[in-house]
Amino acid sequence: MIAATRAEPDGRWVLPKENAGAWVERLLEGAQVIAPVAGPEGEEVYDVVRTPHQVLWDFVNPLDPPKRFVLPQTEPLARIEKTDGRFRVEPIHDEAPRVFLNLRNCDLQGFHFLRRMHAADLPDPSFLRRFDSLTLVSLACTRPCPWGFCICCEGGPFLREGYDLQLTDLGGVFLAEVGSAKGRKALEAGQGLFRPATEAEQVRRLELEQQALRSFGPETCHFGSAMRRISTRRVADELWEAMGPWCLECGGCNLACPTCYCFSVKDRSEEPWRGNAGGEGSAEQVWTRCRIWDSCQYQAFTLEASGHNPREAKRERIKRRFYHKVSAQYYRKDQALGCVGCGRCILVCMGTTDMPSVVAAIRKGRWEGGRL
Amino acid sequence: MKDLLIPSVATILATRDETPDTRTFALRFRDDEEHRSFSFRPGQFVELSVFGAGEAPFCLASSPTRPEHIEVTVRRCGVVTNALHALGPGDEVGLRGPCGNGFDVEAAQGWDLLFVAGGIGLPPLRGLIWNVLDQRSRFGHITILYGARTPADLVYKDELRVWSAMDGVEVKVTVDRGAPGWEGNVGMVPVLFDQVELRPERTVAYVCGPPVMIKFVVQDLLMRKFAPERVISTLERMMQCGVGKCNHCCVGHRYLCRDGPVFSFAEIREMWE
Repeated sequence: MIAATRAEPDGRWVLPKENAGAWVERLLEGAQVIAPVAGPEGEEVYDVVRTPHQVLWDFVNPLDPPKRFVLPQTEPLARIEKTDGRFRVEPIHDEAPRVFLNLRNCDLQGFHFLRRMHAADLPDPSFLRRFDSLTLVSLACTRPCPWGFCICCEGGPFLREGYDLQLTDLGGVFLAEVGSAKGRKALEAGQGLFRPATEAEQVRRLELEQQALRSFGPETCHFGSAMRRISTRRVADELWEAMGPWCLECGGCNLACPTCYCFSVKDRSEEPWRGNAGGEGSAEQVWTRCRIWDSCQYQAFTLEASGHNPREAKRERIKRRFYHKVSAQYYRKDQALGCVGCGRCILVCMGTTDMPSVVAAIRKGRWEGGRL
Repeated sequence: MKDLLIPSVATILATRDETPDTRTFALRFRDDEEHRSFSFRPGQFVELSVFGAGEAPFCLASSPTRPEHIEVTVRRCGVVTNALHALGPGDEVGLRGPCGNGFDVEAAQGWDLLFVAGGIGLPPLRGLIWNVLDQRSRFGHITILYGARTPADLVYKDELRVWSAMDGVEVKVTVDRGAPGWEGNVGMVPVLFDQVELRPERTVAYVCGPPVMIKFVVQDLLMRKFAPERVISTLERMMQCGVGKCNHCCVGHRYLCRDGPVFSFAEIREMWE
């Protein structure tokens, strides 16, 4: 279940916008702050913040998902040194305190999906250490993004729990709801900058949520019937077969998805000239064992050394992706749908085999393909 | 909490060539305490690292009843296995595990055991075979049927002779294609079924080999009235993490590295995706 507790009724505060910069300044004193910023080409991206004025408070959710801050695209797991034919394996841990500011709620749900999965069965301490050093401050969406369908899968636009702190832009102030002890700590860092919310401000927050719910675009995703069909093997092979040629096998849907976590492990050779081999100097050879993102849509994902490949056909791989995300079997395992409705797959998929299109095809029993 | 994906260092004690491309490696954790505390069931596997080349899963081919070292038998056919074959006694590798569920040896107590292996499918069963032979009195009759493509592809040739000389153990070997000097059986493994007395009602069958061999052998066993829950196999997929996280080896919502690799045919036929 979601780690944070339900917001306390008295845990509502407001931050006047003129104090926002000062609050970020205080957060920067104790932690690394990650927030949406304007990238080099003016595009909105999540990045480490150096000064408060970089932080964007009104932005469209960046295409590049924030998951790389909890599950780095290339994550160093251990340093491997070879000296006189003997090896030394030194685990690399990352538990630097970080505050994630202005995370959108769909991505926040994605973070919790990843945490549940890494904590389940055999827990992964390397992931959990990094995640648990992170304070999550979400910024609720008072205006849904054009392609988002979080409303169909409990991904937003506002949440009741799961955040450490949830902010809502009320115009001149941000309303802050405390969801956990970590959230309270982040609030306390801004002592003197926040004041208790008035009743009118709390009412306004509810009105904005209702308004946001009413203003969703046409992009909807009916998971219920798709889940029923996928979980009971009632999706015709011909349907997957028809979608196969539309998938370009680029893996973009996996890389952009907040809940995708498939990975591989590789040893990266660290030449001394790269400057990151460390200072000891005596090792003949140094490698970094890395966990790297992988994609179930790549043909080589299931290719065995013998040449045998159980998911060689594209239809098998597309089927796999949607079985993992939308089946009841996985819903029980992951305690959630593998989709938070961010809509990034709609933007990245050139072949239109994105979540809403495939779910619609399964529901209608017909693949049309393409988009106007 | 121990890191999930970090290997420990182990030393290659000895190697033995089984076939021109297959070699058995005897390994021991460099740290004695770690070696002593490493306990496993037959049928489990380890993630073996050749540092710099990568990591791959290999079944434990030795028995927990012989704990002085652990053995893996590896055919040279990819990046990691080629790098491993370039190493020899004294060289160091990484080990992580044991992973997977392994065979339920307790449940087989009192039953006759039938082992059916094809090619490089014998190593996963060898750990179990030595395990039951080391506690011989707990099990009934033991039959080992083994097939390979050619006589040169047979692994553990010496041990096949040792096993067949043991009381209450029957060993039959066949090859798909004979060779000069080969006077044994020729034909796929199922040809051996008619040479031994099968007692399906009191036998647990263990099958391991290439996918196509497993398919035909299992079909044959079911036709001969073996119960699906007593036909046990160990499955293979491309595995990476070995701990049920990376998603490479899943079949449906099951992870072969974590829920398996050992499954009964009753379980296998319920698996789909």
